[in-house]
Amino acid sequence: MIPYLARVLVKAVVTLFAIMTVTFIATRFSGNPIDTFLGEGLTTEGRQALIDYFQLDQSLWQQYLAFLRGALSGEFGLSFVDRRPVTEVVAERLWPSAQLLLASIGLTIAISLPLGVLAAVYRKSWIGSAVMVVAFAGYAVPAFVLAIGMILIFSYWLDWLPVVGSSTALHFIMPTIAMSGVLVAALTRFTRNAMLDVLGQDFIRTARAKGLGEMRVVLRHGLGNAAITVISVIGLQIAGLAAAGSVVIESIFSWPGIGQLLVNAAIIRDYPVLQFGVIAVAFAVVAINALTDIAYALADPRIRLGQN
Amino acid sequence: MFRLMLTTTLAMLPLAAGAQEITVGAANVTPFLDPGRDHSNVGSQFYYNSFDTLINRDHSKLESKWVPALATSWELIEPTVMELTLREDVIFHNGDPMTADDVVFSLNRMFQATFPPYVVRAKDRLGNFTEAEKVDDYTVRIHAAREEPLWETLISLQQIMIIPEVYTKALTGDPELAEDGDYEAFALAPMGTGPYRVADLQPGEKLVWERFNGFWGEIAPLERATVVQIAETASRVTALKTGEVDIITNVAPDQISLIERDPNLKTEGTATALFHVMIMNQNHPKLQDPRIRQAMSLAIDRDALNEALWLGKAVVPSTHTMEEMGALHQPELTTFEYDPERAKALLEEAGYDGFEITYDTAATYYTNGLLAAQAITEMWSAVGINGRVNVQDQWSGDDPEMMARNWSNPMYFSDPFGSFGVMWAPEGPSESEGRFNTDAEYAEKWERFRFSTDIDARKAAYAELMEEMKADPVVLPLYRPFESWAMKRSVNWAPMPGHIPYVLDFRAGSISLADS
Amino acid sequence: MANLTDAILPRPSNRTGNDRNIIQKAAILLAVLLAVAAIFAPLLTPFDSLEQSLLSRLRPPLGFERHAPGHLLGTDELGRDVLSRALYGLRLTLALAFAGAVLGLLLGGLLGLVAGLRRGWVEDLVMALVDMQIAIPFTLVALLVLAVMGSSLTVLVLVLGIAGWEQYARIVRGEVRRIAAQPFLEAARTAGSGPLYTACYHVLPNLISPLVVQFTLALSNIVILESTLSFLGLGVQPPQPSLGSMVGLGRDYMPTAPWIVLTPALLILLLTFTVQILGDWLRDHTDVRLRDR
Repeated sequence: MIPYLARVLVKAVVTLFAIMTVTFIATRFSGNPIDTFLGEGLTTEGRQALIDYFQLDQSLWQQYLAFLRGALSGEFGLSFVDRRPVTEVVAERLWPSAQLLLASIGLTIAISLPLGVLAAVYRKSWIGSAVMVVAFAGYAVPAFVLAIGMILIFSYWLDWLPVVGSSTALHFIMPTIAMSGVLVAALTRFTRNAMLDVLGQDFIRTARAKGLGEMRVVLRHGLGNAAITVISVIGLQIAGLAAAGSVVIESIFSWPGIGQLLVNAAIIRDYPVLQFGVIAVAFAVVAINALTDIAYALADPRIRLGQN
Repeated sequence: MFRLMLTTTLAMLPLAAGAQEITVGAANVTPFLDPGRDHSNVGSQFYYNSFDTLINRDHSKLESKWVPALATSWELIEPTVMELTLREDVIFHNGDPMTADDVVFSLNRMFQATFPPYVVRAKDRLGNFTEAEKVDDYTVRIHAAREEPLWETLISLQQIMIIPEVYTKALTGDPELAEDGDYEAFALAPMGTGPYRVADLQPGEKLVWERFNGFWGEIAPLERATVVQIAETASRVTALKTGEVDIITNVAPDQISLIERDPNLKTEGTATALFHVMIMNQNHPKLQDPRIRQAMSLAIDRDALNEALWLGKAVVPSTHTMEEMGALHQPELTTFEYDPERAKALLEEAGYDGFEITYDTAATYYTNGLLAAQAITEMWSAVGINGRVNVQDQWSGDDPEMMARNWSNPMYFSDPFGSFGVMWAPEGPSESEGRFNTDAEYAEKWERFRFSTDIDARKAAYAELMEEMKADPVVLPLYRPFESWAMKRSVNWAPMPGHIPYVLDFRAGSISLADS
Repeated sequence: MANLTDAILPRPSNRTGNDRNIIQKAAILLAVLLAVAAIFAPLLTPFDSLEQSLLSRLRPPLGFERHAPGHLLGTDELGRDVLSRALYGLRLTLALAFAGAVLGLLLGGLLGLVAGLRRGWVEDLVMALVDMQIAIPFTLVALLVLAVMGSSLTVLVLVLGIAGWEQYARIVRGEVRRIAAQPFLEAARTAGSGPLYTACYHVLPNLISPLVVQFTLALSNIVILESTLSFLGLGVQPPQPSLGSMVGLGRDYMPTAPWIVLTPALLILLLTFTVQILGDWLRDHTDVRLRDR
C-alpha cells in the first residue's frame, strides 16, 4: 500500500510540473498580450514602452526561470490587466466555481445512481429504455442551449427564477441543472454498464442461490461491487468538469467563477492569470485524481495488497 | 432555508425601487478605473460619475458649449499659456480638499508621463502640452509648445480628470513619491471629486457607486448605482425583464423590437459618435496598387448594411466627419461612395487575378461586426473580389499579413483631430503599425489642419487630407452604429448628445426615477 | 420479483419483439436518413448555403406571418436559407466528427496499445500524458491552439481529435493488460509468438467492442464540443455553416427568431441520440460476455 501511495504522489507532482511548463510554453507562443488588451492604435515607442514595462522583453528562458522561482516561493506575479496578485484574482473565483460544481455533483449522484441501477435491472423492458432515453438527452443537447432555453422559459416567460449571479439558493437551480446534464448522462450510463457487468458474474448467482432477497442482491452485492468503476468515473468526470465544463454556464449566468476568468485571460493573453489559473485548476484535478486512485486502491484488494 | 431566501429576495425588490437605487446590467465591466490610462469603449462608460475635469461641456447640447467645472474661469494669458482659477469648495471622496497641487499633479502625470500606460495615452492627444504650473493654491497655468486651437476641448478630456495627489502617492511605497505602483493601486481604489464615490470595484464583474454628499455641484439623484457584468445577450435581456436590473447596455438593433413589445420596458438609442471602419493595409504586397483598395471600398453598399443590420438607424457618412464637430463638420465632402461598376473597372485596370482578400474581425467586440464582415465579403464577391472572413480575437492591425479588418474610430473629443486626427496622424498609430504611409506633403497638410488658428484654413486642410484618403484609401468609415440601452419605463435616462461614446451619466439632470 | 429475475436472466423469447428493439430499429433508420441527408446535401438544398439576402433577414418558417416564400424553415440573421444551411451544416459536422473521432482513435489506440504491451517507463509516460490531458482545461487548450495556429478546418479537426484521445488510450491499455494476464496468452508466448502477433491476433478482437462504444461516444461528444467552441467563437468559421456554429452564433436570436437555432439544435439532438443508441446496440451485440447471457 505504501509504495502504491508513494507512486501516486510522485506521479501527481511530476504531472503538475509538466503542466506548469507546458502552460508556460503554450501561453508564450500564443501571441503577445500587448496585441490583445492594449492593441489598437499604439505607436512604436508606446508599444516598446509597454513591452519593457510588463517585462516581456526578457528571453523566454529568463521568463521561465523567473516564473519557476516565483512559483516555488508562492509568487505568481501580477495580472497584466488589473495589476493585482494573480493568487488573489484566482482565489476569489475558486469558491463560487466549487459551489456550483459541488451542487452539480450532488444532483448528479442523486439522479444517476438510482437511474443507472434501474436501467440495468430492467435492461430488457421499457423502463430500462425510457431511463436510457432520458439519460441520452443529457448528452444530446449542448449545455448552453439548455441554459438559454431554461432562462427563456423559467425567467423570461414565467418569471420564476433569477438569472444573474450566485447570491441565493434560487440562483443555483438553473446553472446546476444546465451543468449536470452531461454528467447525469455519463454517470447513468456508466452505472448501468458497471451493474450489468457485475450482475452477470458468478458470485451474484451464488448470492441469489443462497436465497438472499433480490433487492439485497442488487444493492449490496451488485452496486457494492460496481462502485469501483463508478467511483473512478465520478472522479474523472469531476476532473473534466472542474477543468472546462463550467466556462459556458458561468458566462451565461454571470457566475463569478474561474472558468470565465480563464477563458477571458486566454483571449486577452493575460499570461500571469492564465498560468496560475491553469495551475490551480490542474492542482485540483490532479489532487482529485490522486484521491480517486487511492479510493480505487482501497476498493480493489489486488492493489491494496500490493500486487500492482 | 429555501423558502426564507425566496421571500427575502422578493421582499427586497420593491424596497430597492423606492430608495432611488438602480442596477445596470452591462455587457462589460471595466477591469480597472483610471481615467488617465484608459481610452477603451468599456472604460469610458464609468469615469464621468466619479471624476471631474477642469472645464466641462454642456452635455445636453450637440455643439460644444464650455461650462465651468473644477475651474471657475480660464483665459489665455499668452498664446501658449492658459491660466485657470480653481473652485475653492471642492473635496475628494476621502474628504481632502482639492487644491492647485492636486491639479498640477494630475495634469503633469500625463503631460510629463513616466508611467508607460500614461505615456502611450498622452502622446497621441496631449502632445502639445508641456507642463502645468502652480501659481497659488487656487490658480494654475498650463503651458503648450505651440499655439493651440483646441484649448477647451483638450482640457476637458477624460485623460486629465483630476485625482488626489496625497492619497495617490501614499498608496504604495514612499508616500512622498509618485511611483508606478501608486498608479497601479489607484486603478483599483479610484478616487475623484465627482458626485458618486466608487464604493466597490470587483474588476471585470461589478462596480458600485454611492452618492457623495460632499460633491461641489448639484447632489446626485441616486443613492446607489450598481453595475454588474452580464455578458450573454439573452441573460441581459431576461435580467431586465425579471427586474433584476433596471438598465441594460449594448442592445443590438435586432433585440429592440423584443424589448419594445413589453409594456414595462423601453429602449433609448443614438447613432454613437464613433465610426465602425474598415481599414486596409497599404503595405500588403498584394494591395499596394491603390486601385485594388479603391475597389474594395467602392464595392461596399453601406446604405444596404444600414438598412439590413441597423434598421436604417445608423448614420452612413460621405466623409470622415461628424455633426458634433461643429464648424468643422463638412458633410459636403464626398470621399466615400458605393459604385460597383467602377469597382469592377478598377479591378480590371489593376489586373486583379482573383487572389484571396481576408477581412479580419473579432467575434463579438463590435455590435454587428461579424454580420457586417460576412455581408461585406458577399458584396465583394458581387464585383469579383474573392473575400474571406477571418475571425480572431487578437488585434491584427500591426500584422504585415493583415489585408483588411474592422476597427473603430471613436470621437475622443469633438474635433476632427479627436477622431480622424488621432488615428491617422503622421507617425500616429496607423502609420507606426506599418499599414499606412505618409509623406512630407501629407504631414504638411496635417500640420495645417491640426494647428491653424483660422477655422477656414483648418477646414481646407482637412478637405485636402480627405482627397488623399480618396486617392489612396486606407480606411472606409462604414457608419455610426446605432447603440441602444434598454430600461424599465420608470427610469428616465438617455445617452446625451454631448458625451463621448458609451458614457453612463447618472449626474443630476441626467437620470431620474419615476415614483411608481 | 419474477419480473426482476426475468430482466436479469431473460428467457430467449424476450430477445426479440421488445420495445428496445423498436427504438434501435428506429435509430438505425434515422441514422441512414441523416447520412443520406448529409451526403446528398448539395442535391437536396433549395439554396446556396452562403447566399445572403439582406432584405429578407430573420423570416420565419412556412406557416408563420412574414414568411418568405421558398424558405421552408425561414431565413437567418443574414437572410440565408436555414434549411440549406442546416443540411450543409449536418454534412460538415458529421465530417468533422468522424475525422476527429478517427484521429482520437488512432492516436489514443496506438499509445494505449504501446503502453499496455511495453509496460515500464513507456507506460508511465503515456499515462502521465493521459493525466495531463485530463488535468488541463481542454477549452483553454483549444483556445490557445486555435490562437496560435489560426482557426481553420484542419486545426479544428486536430483539436477535436486531441480532445478525446486519452479515453481510447485508457480503454486500450486496460484491455491489453487484462488480456495479457490471461493464461492463453502465456501459452501463446511460450509457443513463441512475438508481441506484434499477440497484438493482432489476441488483443485486437477483444478491443473491438469497447472501442466501438467509445467511438460512438466520441462522435456525439465532438458534435457537442464543436458547438461549445462555436459558443466561444472558436468553432467552424463563418460564413461556413456547421450545426454547432449555427447554434452558437444564432443563440442571440433565441428569443426573437428561435427557428435559426431550433433546426440545427434538433439535428444535433437527433444525431447524438442516434449515435448513442447505435453505440449501445453495438455494445449489446458485440460484447462476448453479454451475448452469452
